[in-house]
Amino acid sequence: MVVGFLLLLLMPSSRSATSISVVDRNVVVGEMGDMLQLRKRRRRRRGHVSLLTCVVGFLFLCQVSRLAAAAVLHRHQRISGSAGDVLEDNPVGRLKVFVYELPSKYNKDWLEKDPRCLTHMFAAEEFVHDFLLTSPVRTHNPKEADWFYTPVYTTCDLMPNGLPLPFKSPRIMRSAISYISTHWPYWNRTEGADHFFVVPHDFGACFHYQEEKAIERGVLPLLKHATLVQTFGQNHHVCLKEGSIVVPPYAPPEKMQSRFIPPNTPRSIFVYFRGLFYDVGNDPEGGYYARGARAAVWENFKDNPLFDISTQHPSTYYEDMQRAIFCLCPLGWAPWSPRLVEGVIFGCIPVIIADDIVLPFADAIPWEKIGVFVAEKDVPNLDKILSSISPEQVLEKQRLLANPAMKQAMLFSQPALPGDAFHQILNGLARKLPHDPHIYLEPGQMVLNWTEGPVGDLKPW
Amino acid sequence: MKKVTGSSHRLARMRSKNRSGFNSEQASETSFRLMPVSHFRVFIQCMFCIGTLILGFRLTTESSFLKASFQNPEDPFTRISARTDSSASTGTESQFDLQLRREFANGSKGSRLAYNGTIVHSSGGVRVDVGRHAILIRPWPHPDPFEVLHAHHLIKRVQLEQRQLYGSKESKPIIAITTTFVRTFQAVHLTGLLHTLSVIPVPVTWIVMEAGGVTNETAHFLSLAHVHRLLHLGFDIPMPAGLNERSKLEAQMRVEGLRYVQKEKLEGVVVFADESNIHSLEFFTEAQKVDWVGAVSVGLLGFAGFEESPQSGIVHVHDGRVEARENHILFAARQAAAAPRFEPQVQGPSCDSNGNLIGWHIFDPLPLEGEVHKGMRAAQNRRLEWANFVLNARAVWKTEGNQPEWIRSWDEWANPEDGSTPDIKAIVRSDQWVKVLGNCGRKVLLWWLRAEARADSKHPNKWILDESLEIIVPAKSTPWPRRPVRRAAPPPPAPAGGTGTKHGAGSRVSSGKVRRPKRKQDQTNVS
Repeated sequence: MVVGFLLLLLMPSSRSATSISVVDRNVVVGEMGDMLQLRKRRRRRRGHVSLLTCVVGFLFLCQVSRLAAAAVLHRHQRISGSAGDVLEDNPVGRLKVFVYELPSKYNKDWLEKDPRCLTHMFAAEEFVHDFLLTSPVRTHNPKEADWFYTPVYTTCDLMPNGLPLPFKSPRIMRSAISYISTHWPYWNRTEGADHFFVVPHDFGACFHYQEEKAIERGVLPLLKHATLVQTFGQNHHVCLKEGSIVVPPYAPPEKMQSRFIPPNTPRSIFVYFRGLFYDVGNDPEGGYYARGARAAVWENFKDNPLFDISTQHPSTYYEDMQRAIFCLCPLGWAPWSPRLVEGVIFGCIPVIIADDIVLPFADAIPWEKIGVFVAEKDVPNLDKILSSISPEQVLEKQRLLANPAMKQAMLFSQPALPGDAFHQILNGLARKLPHDPHIYLEPGQMVLNWTEGPVGDLKPW
Repeated sequence: MKKVTGSSHRLARMRSKNRSGFNSEQASETSFRLMPVSHFRVFIQCMFCIGTLILGFRLTTESSFLKASFQNPEDPFTRISARTDSSASTGTESQFDLQLRREFANGSKGSRLAYNGTIVHSSGGVRVDVGRHAILIRPWPHPDPFEVLHAHHLIKRVQLEQRQLYGSKESKPIIAITTTFVRTFQAVHLTGLLHTLSVIPVPVTWIVMEAGGVTNETAHFLSLAHVHRLLHLGFDIPMPAGLNERSKLEAQMRVEGLRYVQKEKLEGVVVFADESNIHSLEFFTEAQKVDWVGAVSVGLLGFAGFEESPQSGIVHVHDGRVEARENHILFAARQAAAAPRFEPQVQGPSCDSNGNLIGWHIFDPLPLEGEVHKGMRAAQNRRLEWANFVLNARAVWKTEGNQPEWIRSWDEWANPEDGSTPDIKAIVRSDQWVKVLGNCGRKVLLWWLRAEARADSKHPNKWILDESLEIIVPAKSTPWPRRPVRRAAPPPPAPAGGTGTKHGAGSRVSSGKVRRPKRKQDQTNVS
């Protein structure tokens, strides 16, 4: 408070050297005396009474608010330190994004063919496009743009059961890139180093759902320099390029926010999980799916009353999550899952069982403070690990989760709200600015090899 | 293979040496020496052929596995039995097809057995192990009591924090008044109630009035309850069989309970927790909101609660006189037009759109088959249950001056001069002072389970049968046809009590005539 008082007095004095609106030496605090000695000659008396009342009022309010805050139990806790500030950053004014106009065969036609693309968990690519079209960071002048966005929907080729087929995606991407490189000079200027793409599929830009094949393919060679916005994140993995921005999978915000139950409903479930343990269709004996971790959870804890785990998906799924303390988020065929988003929204502490996973917005959100990380080899001791967490830690994690900024950051809300996932993506892009001048190539210099990659990818689309 | 090639080299040299003269003999010699070589080769080829037939086309995986498995034979924690993925392809049990379980002791020692041959390395130095992994199961995969205890402590602490943050700020103690008597289904109802009252977060004073005096059976149940204060009072009059008489006696017992509250000047919220009611914990938090007198909705379960939609409509009751049913025709028409669906009957207050109390939903019992109806429903059938009301304990205190003037004094309503049974609704002079709880009566917070055994049903004490049953008598009414049993002597009369059939068709061998029981509303109709 004293510091505040000092700052308040110093501020006007720093701005105007000649007119310092202090004052009687009797009133001024002793520490200020030395500072004012220097400016004695240029001092002029001002209306000190008004300033004094302001200062006194300010001090009074400080005291009152502090007392009031102490009286109320903390319902949520702001993520302290730089991470918390970063979540609340406003990207507007810090970057400019130019959106390429691609023919509709790259984006709108896919939507018309199958509108399920807007509701499945890969819908982020459509919603980011939508958001950028009307966002204040968009610019129509590509010369002043910092980032270039290509709206190509590579995960919209759906099978009848709703899962996307990634087999055409490399060709679609190549075709889009060749389009922008021929119609605009900006791709060739940097070979894509100031371009970003949204690739929310299972293994990102590796464009395959099977991990072995995805690793074999690697990231599409043309995207070597571009920034990728993807849901997949695993350390030391081919499909996570350095400098990528990891985002949460899309979860429908309205559906989740309409299913809140009153917060005084006691949390009586200790651990909650609904989902497959054995993928009998693709991996009947177990061991491949989820690297055996989900099967280990089932085999070890199927008769444990503290673990409410099952494959039956109830209609009260969201309500049950709000009655649970811990929600398991184990890996599946890919390490990420929408359960993380659901756990954060519903205040259930996520227990992440996926080795080396990179969680969304990891540079902005301190996930170790919020969730519990369990190594896959420690799964048989999960009950011991979870029951030995101290109650204070659990309460603190719940408080951090209750922070509305945290929940907002996980959602792709419609319409976009400040602090939501769209803004976190823009914040991530803004943090990568300014671009390294080395990315600008000499005219005629070619770094990317357009014929690299499997032969099947080179067919035009 | 080396052997083969070596011998072929030797053969070639020999052939080149012995070119000239000895062709015929050496041709036979060489041809003779060729034979074992080709036999060996053919043999090897056959073995591999058979091997691939059996194992499928992943022989290399198996061989690499064999190599890996023999590398660490002394690992104390592994009992390696390998499950291969070839069994899926061939479907036959191969010699290598065993279950893979890596079991280890309590430590977190368990390096993954990466026998998969498909570790992919790429430029990024991948640590990814793609392929089949072991399913790790600990030696005794069952809950450990200490961990369960820790977890429950955690849950309790989290719930306490939730209550402090989001729960209601008021925590008035609850005074529950219950009437009970020993009967077949007492255990069912009383156990539920005692557990409910034990988990309420505020201090609970439980006043139990028992018809027929204090008994050990009831005392046994009450000893299981964790309440702040328990009072077990006995009423010497036994519980009558008829419903009307029962309700009268219960009203008197409840008044006695309230008299105790008045005498001891207990503070808090008075709740009439009938033992056959199922309470939700939310009911007790709603009850905290009462100022003086509150009303809640009670749902009805069992016995004609579901067969037809309620026909009660809204009945306006003014001072005991029943006014004409308003909108009855419209109400019935609406009910008929609505799709047939489960409509639980609810008894309680009803409000208008502003939230003011305008009337009461009353349970209108549907007639049972065979019940003789006098055609007229007495006005007292339209009484609300005591469980519909929640009181502030001060409302029954005798001291004047604390209570608002619209609350009748104790002597006025609890001891009516004409000797009629006291009615809880009479505690207020008019309806407008009753506070409606539970989202204006729309939220049903407690349910009345109308399921009782027959009044004369026998049940063993504490529901425990003695091992030595002297005589066992078959139940009279069984679904299968009776066979005439020839006996030398007539069966002895059944002893009173002790043995028994639980389901109410008590032994009536002793009495000659079959007594047709009076149909009462406490008959089990629940199938």
